Amino acid sequence: MSLRVLVVEDDREIRSMMQSSLTVEGFEVQTAVTLSEASALLHHAPPDVVVLDLGLPDGDGVALVQQIRRNQSLPIIIVSARHQEAQKIQLLDAGADDYLVKPFSVAELLARIRVALRHRGTALAAAVTSHSLDDLHIDLATRTVQRGGEILHLTPTEFNLLARLVRSAGRVVTHRQLLTDVWGPEFTEHTHYLRLYMGQLRAKIERDPAEPRHLLTETGVGYRLAVA
Amino acid sequence: MNVSTPNPTGPSLLRSGFTIVGLLTLATVGSLWVDHHISLTSQAMLYVLVVVIGAYSLPLVPSVVCAVGAVVAFNFFFVPPRFTFAVESRENLIALSAMLVVALVISHLAARLRSETALAHRNAQRARQLQELATQLANTNTVEEILQLGQQTLDAAFDGPNWLALRQPDGELSSAAQLGLGPQGDLKDGLQCCMRENAVLGPGTGRWPGLNAWYLPLGNKGQMQGAVCIQNVTAADTPGREHAQAVCAQLGQTLWRLRLSTAMQETEAESKRQQVQSTFLAAISHDLRTPLAAVVGAASSLQTQRDKLSPAEQDRLLASIVREASYLSTVTENTLQLVQLTNTTQPLQRDWESMEEIVGSVLARLRAHDPNRRIKSKVPEGLPLIRANPVLVAQLLANLLDNALKYSDAAIDLVVSTDHATLKVSVKDRGNTIPADQYQAIFEPYSRNDQSGQRGAGLGLALCRAIAQAHGGELGVRRRQGGGNCFTFSLPVDPQQPQGAPP
Repeated sequence: MSLRVLVVEDDREIRSMMQSSLTVEGFEVQTAVTLSEASALLHHAPPDVVVLDLGLPDGDGVALVQQIRRNQSLPIIIVSARHQEAQKIQLLDAGADDYLVKPFSVAELLARIRVALRHRGTALAAAVTSHSLDDLHIDLATRTVQRGGEILHLTPTEFNLLARLVRSAGRVVTHRQLLTDVWGPEFTEHTHYLRLYMGQLRAKIERDPAEPRHLLTETGVGYRLAVA
Repeated sequence: MNVSTPNPTGPSLLRSGFTIVGLLTLATVGSLWVDHHISLTSQAMLYVLVVVIGAYSLPLVPSVVCAVGAVVAFNFFFVPPRFTFAVESRENLIALSAMLVVALVISHLAARLRSETALAHRNAQRARQLQELATQLANTNTVEEILQLGQQTLDAAFDGPNWLALRQPDGELSSAAQLGLGPQGDLKDGLQCCMRENAVLGPGTGRWPGLNAWYLPLGNKGQMQGAVCIQNVTAADTPGREHAQAVCAQLGQTLWRLRLSTAMQETEAESKRQQVQSTFLAAISHDLRTPLAAVVGAASSLQTQRDKLSPAEQDRLLASIVREASYLSTVTENTLQLVQLTNTTQPLQRDWESMEEIVGSVLARLRAHDPNRRIKSKVPEGLPLIRANPVLVAQLLANLLDNALKYSDAAIDLVVSTDHATLKVSVKDRGNTIPADQYQAIFEPYSRNDQSGQRGAGLGLALCRAIAQAHGGELGVRRRQGGGNCFTFSLPVDPQQPQGAPP
C-alpha cells in the first residue's frame, strides 16, 4: 500500500503541482484548501505525512499542528514564504517536523518527506540512539563520539546538545526546543548559549567549522544535523 | 475710560485722602504762618496753588474734592468772619465763587491733560508692541512659538485673564494655557461662536454686549485658525479693542502663512516620494520583466514545440526556466526586504549571532551555484558574537557572494576579521574593476555596472548597504590590489559580550 500524503495549500497552482509530482513518486495524495477541510480529512482518513502551507484562508496552522500532536505522531512539514518567519518557528515549536521556504524545488520537498517519514514523527524520536555520516559516529547509549576512528572528548553540555540533534537527525530543531531540552525551560531566551556551544562543538567535530558538514545552521530558526 | 481712571481701590483712595488732607493742611498752615503779613488775596493764591498741585497729582474726583476743600478751608480760616463758614461781604462771596470755579476748571483741565498724555503713551506703547510682534512673528516657524508669543503679547497689553486657542484639524480647540482653568463651557462656546461667525463679540461690538469679555477670531472666513478671549473689558475701551484686533490679525496671518508653508512642504515631500517610487517601479519592472519574458518564452516553446525539440534543447529550456525563475525570486526577495527596511520605523529584531555560523549557512546555500568551489573562506577562531538579525546579514553576504560569482570567473576570497570595535567581512573578486566614480552609484537602487554585459542583482547592493546601515555598520567597496574589487561590510561589536552558559 502506498503512503498517503495530505497537502494543505490554498494556492491552486502549487497544490496541483505538488499533487502531480507526489503522485508520480508513488504517493497517494489528498488535498485540502482550508484548515477545517484538513482536520476533517485527518479524522476520516489519517495520512502518513502532512504538508502544511502557512497563510490559509480560515486561520492559523498552529491549532491544526496542536490538534494532530494531541493523538498522532505523523510527520508535519511546513511550507512558508520568507516573511512568515515568526509563524514558522511557532509551528516548529508546536511540534511540526520540518519546513520549506517558498519557492522550493520538488526534489527538496521529496527529500524532506523522505527524512520525515524515516523518523515517523516525534513520538518515535527516542528510538534513535546512534548516528553515522561520513567518518563521524555518534552513539548515545555509550555516550561516545568518534571521528575517523578517533574518540572525541565532549563536555556533558556539548554532548547533550549533540544528542538532542541526533534524536531529530535530518530535521530542524528550533532554538527554543534546544534551549528547553538541554538547559531548561527558563533559558529559552539565552540564544547566545547555543552560539557559544555550537561553536565549540563544530570546532571539535567539523573539519572546517566555517563550512560545516554535520551541524547545519538554519538561519534565524535553529539547527539541523545532516543525514546525507 | 478705563485707561486713565483705573478702578479706585482701597489703598489708592486712602492715599488720595491723605494727599488732599496734607495739601490743605500745608496751605492753611502756610497762610496762618504769614497771616497779617500778606493780603487775603495772596492767601487765596496759596490755596489755588495747592489745588493746581492736587489736580496734577490726583485723579479727577479727588482733585475736585481737593478744589472744593480748598475753597471751604479758605472760607473757614481766612474769610471774615474768620473761623465760621459765613461770608460777610458780597465782594468776598464773589471772590470765593470765582475761586471755586477756577479751582474746578483747573482740576478738570489737568485731569484731561493727564488722560490724554496717558492715552498717547498707551497708543505709542501699543504701536511699539505691534511692531515688535510683527518682527518676532517673522522669525517663528512653529505653531507653539506663535501661541506662546501671542499669549505673551496679550498678557502684556491687557489685564486679562486672556485666552488664546487654536483650532485643530478635527475642529477641537487647543490652547497654550489650560482651558480647564476658566469657566470652561462659556469660554469654549464663545471661542467657537466667534470663529463660526467670524466676528468680534463682546462689549462695544454690538454682538453679545452683555459679556464682560471680548472674543476675537484669528484669521478670516474659510481659513479660521483659532480665537482669542480677553476678559474684564469695558465697552468704552475702543482703542483697546482695536489694538486687540490688530494683534489678532497679525497672529492669524502668521498662522495662515505657517499652515500654507507646512502644506507646501508636505506636498513637496509627497511628490518627491512619488518620484522615488516611480523610479523604483520603473527599474524593478525592468528587472522583473526580463526574466519573466525568458520564463514565458521557454515554457511556451516547450508547450507548443516539444515534439520538434531535441531532448538536449528541451533540457536547455527547462534549465533556463529554473534559472530565470530563481533569479526572479531573488529580485522579489531583495525588493520586499529593501522596501520593508527603508519604510519601517520599527527597530530590527536582533539576537546574539555568530558570524561563523552565518558564513557557514550562506556557503551551504551558495555551493549549489558554485560547483567548482571558487569561494575560499577564511574565518578566524574565537570571533566575538554580534547583535544582529541573522536572516538579513545572511542575505547581505549571499548577495555580495552572488555578485562576485556572477562578475568574475576566478577564485573569490571571503575574509572575516575583527578588532575590538568592529567585525569586518570582505568579499574579494577578480572581476572587472569598478571605476572609482561609480562607487556611489552602484549602491543606489537600480543602478548597475553594465560594462560586463551581465545582468546585475540591481537592487542587491542597495539592499546590502541598507542592511549594514540598519545594524549600525557600513558597506563599502575599494579596488583590489592586482585587479578586481573588494566589498567590505563592517558591523559594530558590542563590548559587553554575553555571559557564557553554566557548565
